[in-house]
Amino acid sequence: MRFLRIAWLNFCFYPFFIIFSLIAFVSFGCLIILSIPFLSKRKIFKFLRLAIRWYGAAIIRILPWPLIRLEYKNFGQNDPSGPYLFISNHRSACDPFLMGVFPYEIVQVVNIWPFRLPALGIIAKIAGYLSVREMPYEEFAKKTLQLIDAGVSLAAFPEGTRARHKSVGQFHSAIFRTALETHAAIVPVCITGNERVPPIGSPFLRPSLIKIHRLPAITWEEYKTFNAFKLKNYCRAIIAKEVLLMDQT
Amino acid sequence: MTEQDVIRLVNEVFVDSFEIEKSRLVPEANIFMDLGLDSLDIVDLVVALQKKFGVTIRDDERVRTIRTLGDLQQFILTLKKEIGK
Repeated sequence: MRFLRIAWLNFCFYPFFIIFSLIAFVSFGCLIILSIPFLSKRKIFKFLRLAIRWYGAAIIRILPWPLIRLEYKNFGQNDPSGPYLFISNHRSACDPFLMGVFPYEIVQVVNIWPFRLPALGIIAKIAGYLSVREMPYEEFAKKTLQLIDAGVSLAAFPEGTRARHKSVGQFHSAIFRTALETHAAIVPVCITGNERVPPIGSPFLRPSLIKIHRLPAITWEEYKTFNAFKLKNYCRAIIAKEVLLMDQT
Repeated sequence: MTEQDVIRLVNEVFVDSFEIEKSRLVPEANIFMDLGLDSLDIVDLVVALQKKFGVTIRDDERVRTIRTLGDLQQFILTLKKEIGK
């Protein structure tokens, strides 16, 4: 029965994923190209990032449903207004798609490999996603500052690579240095259940309930006395504690 | 400056700059995996060590071989000896 569920999920998901992606790329691509003469560069970027968000949300929420379901809890109703720095634990290749649950214009900070994906990598580059390991830190700092000034939120997975076990790995500090420069609110995001979507080393998705908890934002007032090292470990401890609870329930 | 002085002062940098508990500062602690520093934190560490010991570390190729706190303490000790000659 378990094997049949996995077979059915992947048999249904991948063909629809390819067809949906083709339709989305062509239709959004045409819309964006047609809008170039009429919209400012800023508005085109905004629309492109919005399109990516819709695409990501559809890929993860609609196509694999009901065998993969999403449970999103927002504990940040009283957060100050954005832009935000979303920081999340990282267990799965599907995590960038999961950022589609957040209703904001977001640029993701990614590792090298997403930029090398066919089509998706090119679109990520065009949308201004930041490949943190392929640029000097000074350039990264400058770009993130410009994005936050323009009201764009950032999403990063500070572990840098997918965790091979359930604990949260050491964090890299680049995004936290951005926080200290920009004073933006940091939003910890905890994701569990995604480690099987798909598991590391396999292309096959497994039925799963993916839980996403958006925790209350950590404001500049809270972290202004921290250095980057202390801030990254403070955020890591918050995420690790919540992830442990989520894994147990 | 004795070996014990160097060890104490290097550990002080980790406590003051990174707020790492003294109990974690054992010679075999890996600076990246155990103490949690990344490449950007290393830049801060180098600046703090240069200030503390009055040495130039940044352009020294031997820095690249340092993995543990013990390696770092021995490296600083060697540098201090070289300066003293």
